[in-house]
Amino acid sequence: MREFFSEKKAKIISVTVVVFIVLAVLGASGYPVVSSGVNFLTKGLSQVSAAAASGDEKTYDELLEENKKLNKEAADLRARLVDYYDIKEENARLWKYYKIKKSNPDYEIMPASVIRRDSSQDFYSFTVDMGTSNGVEVQDPVITENGLIGFVSSASAVSSKVTTILSPDLQAGAVDKLTKDSGVIAGNALYTDENKTTLTKIDANAKIKNGDIITTSGIGGIYPANLIVGKVTGIKYNKYDATRYAVVEPFEKVKSITDVVILTDFKNKGEIKRISGKEDN
Amino acid sequence: MDRKFTAARYFAYGLEILLLFILQSTPNLLPELFGGKPLLLLPAAITIALFEPEIPAMFFGLASGVLLDLGYGDNIGFYTVTLALVCFLLGWIFRDYMVVNFLNATAFTAVITAGLICLYFLLFYIFSGKSGAGYYFINHYVSKIVYTFLCGIILYFLNKGLFRSLLDY
Repeated sequence: MREFFSEKKAKIISVTVVVFIVLAVLGASGYPVVSSGVNFLTKGLSQVSAAAASGDEKTYDELLEENKKLNKEAADLRARLVDYYDIKEENARLWKYYKIKKSNPDYEIMPASVIRRDSSQDFYSFTVDMGTSNGVEVQDPVITENGLIGFVSSASAVSSKVTTILSPDLQAGAVDKLTKDSGVIAGNALYTDENKTTLTKIDANAKIKNGDIITTSGIGGIYPANLIVGKVTGIKYNKYDATRYAVVEPFEKVKSITDVVILTDFKNKGEIKRISGKEDN
Repeated sequence: MDRKFTAARYFAYGLEILLLFILQSTPNLLPELFGGKPLLLLPAAITIALFEPEIPAMFFGLASGVLLDLGYGDNIGFYTVTLALVCFLLGWIFRDYMVVNFLNATAFTAVITAGLICLYFLLFYIFSGKSGAGYYFINHYVSKIVYTFLCGIILYFLNKGLFRSLLDY
């Protein structure tokens, strides 16, 4: 007997018998471990075989028809998804314009998209898809929700060229919102690649400093007052006359802009104002 | 004489000019190289003029010039006049006095490209009183000239291929 149990074969038989007894007891007690395990493992296979063996199977033609129908539905859904993305993008764009219009009720705005950014154009000028037939005129300011971008430098019936704030051709009266120091915003070739412009002709005693926000002054009647131009990132001295100028970084990446708003009309357009404080001098 | 190949060639040139215009003017399509982007239409007109007689060459120069000037501000101007003139002269010189080969083509493309772009810079940047001319020229125009010239080499082979495959015998 001892010899029998010492053999490997006997050990295996004993363990198997014990396991079977335990499983049988569990099964009889309402815990069908074996059948549950087998069912779990074979469920997928059973479903496939059951479906194949079922009487309501479809013919090849029916499946082909169904496949066509499903393909058509999938195509419709894809088209709707594309429409959805377009509408979502359009909605985001219109929402920005709405915010501009809401905060500036006197603005007459014309949304426009960049259609050409020609290699020949200096200072990242670009062409937009709105022209004189849409009410756009030369010298109209071009903005985004982040502030001034440039002005319309030439306009045809269906498109307009925009000279950007990075160009020396753009000259706009501007003021430091904090210190009230005034100057003229003009692009500078030295800072174009860094997406920066300059505030020139600032007073010798000006208190302008880094971090100050620069806005348009509205003097000259070309640009409305309080359009954000950018943030001061440095104060420099001119090499030749030792006067100072501020380097201003716009809040918009002018190089990669795709959508803008043209201000076709605004309050005090064309009116030349005098700088307050200097009026009495 | 069968002219259908000539017509097909001119049509192909026209298509090439149009495609290059689209390529050149589409935002964010051509990569910037050291601050400059190529003026593809400039070498296209020059290399076409190397293979064609003076009158057709002038018209292709004119067409390229108009499209180039469109990029500057919807005016027919500098490149329209200069390219029409240059292409006429190239057509005449290479028809009667010079042989078209790689060396001549690259030399003429380089000199004319650099000459016209520098002339433009002189007239519309320096004479208009913009600041930072030297800085802007070195950082944008030098790379633009080199980039344009390199594209000109590719366009030379393209137009040579078009000319040879669509030649009337």
